[in-house]
Amino acid sequence: MYGRKACQLVKELASGEKGQLTPYNSDLFDQVIAECSQHHLELQSLIRKMQEEGLDVQTTRNADHYGALIHHLSLVRNKRCLMAYMYNRAEIIRSLIWKVGPVLPQQIQEKLSHTEEEYFKKHSGALQSYMSRLDLDLTVDMVPPKDPYIQVRVLDDIGVVLSDDKTTNFARHSMHFLKRTDAEQFISRGLMEELTS
Amino acid sequence: MASEAGEGSTAGMDDYETLISTTDVELLKKAWRNEKAAPEILRFETSLIQRIRGQIQLMEENIEEFAGSGIDPLTVSLYQMDLDRTQYLFRSYLRIRLQKIEKYMFHISKNPEVQSRLSEQEKGFARRCADDMERHLEESVLSKLPDNYQDTVKQSIISEESDMIPEPQLDSFVVCKSRRFLGPFQLDGSDELLEMKPDELCIIHYKSIRERVQEGDIDLV
Repeated sequence: MYGRKACQLVKELASGEKGQLTPYNSDLFDQVIAECSQHHLELQSLIRKMQEEGLDVQTTRNADHYGALIHHLSLVRNKRCLMAYMYNRAEIIRSLIWKVGPVLPQQIQEKLSHTEEEYFKKHSGALQSYMSRLDLDLTVDMVPPKDPYIQVRVLDDIGVVLSDDKTTNFARHSMHFLKRTDAEQFISRGLMEELTS
Repeated sequence: MASEAGEGSTAGMDDYETLISTTDVELLKKAWRNEKAAPEILRFETSLIQRIRGQIQLMEENIEEFAGSGIDPLTVSLYQMDLDRTQYLFRSYLRIRLQKIEKYMFHISKNPEVQSRLSEQEKGFARRCADDMERHLEESVLSKLPDNYQDTVKQSIISEESDMIPEPQLDSFVVCKSRRFLGPFQLDGSDELLEMKPDELCIIHYKSIRERVQEGDIDLV
């Protein structure tokens, strides 16, 4: 049935967990694209047939006209599905810049198509240039501050880090009392976790 | 937490009070709340943001000075907390706006009236946003479609107007509060008249009070 594959593609998007990417389904995507080309071929051949019969394509309302119309509508519908698929994925990709920063972890990167990776880089570039024009880092202070200092546990060996002209050794499993702004960058990269009592 | 952000420094220091002029932080808080609740992007608070930036910088310098001159660490950390709250409001305000720009980039790029509400930097960001998205859609979808179906914002070549642009839902409901008595005014699309008393909570279509939010008569909550 026309349009079923495109519908599957969108359903896949909708059934995914909110804010989480599903792997890019290039197979299904290409199949829908192929379906579009097929529609276009049939559409053109129907119009040609009408022209050969000497009918006015604009005004004739015969079986061929409605056939062509159905192909046109299916094509438009497929296009909308494809665009929705890409657009909504792009929305999730943009939100990732806020959540995990300008470098994507391997597991997420595998789910992107090649152009999506490009898009991620370009968009995070746009964001960076906005922030550097303002001379302001917007990726810190993501949650309302309760206390300027928080207790954290180090999850991975980070090594010696310099902050506020003193050095600290963030060895794995060690616990520290840090400024929230200093800790946030490590927490978002999954290198530390906040300890809540 | 919210109520303390502006008044956090009542513990003396008159000269400090003048630095953190309560009203600006309060204004920022209001702008932030409005921006957070409104479905569309509001006018950028250019001069307020400029003042806030100046104040944040002053506070940072002061705190550094205090920390160096042996003032009680507790006092310093209270100032720090106050500063952090202001910083959060400030960053969050800018972030919410960026996220709205990201969401409605095509709507913004086709609509000069909306563009005029953005700051210079935001305009640049919006432009790049839309360009990148357009290129991404072109490369991944449109270039593979038949000729007459390749427009980003039209379904096909026979569409008379752009019919594929996500727009803000202006008829969504918002919770709001009036700052002064607002005489009976007519709601969009109905004959009912509405009066608003100060500090009375209302739940209402955003588009009916849109102008009054922009003018500052009504606050969103």
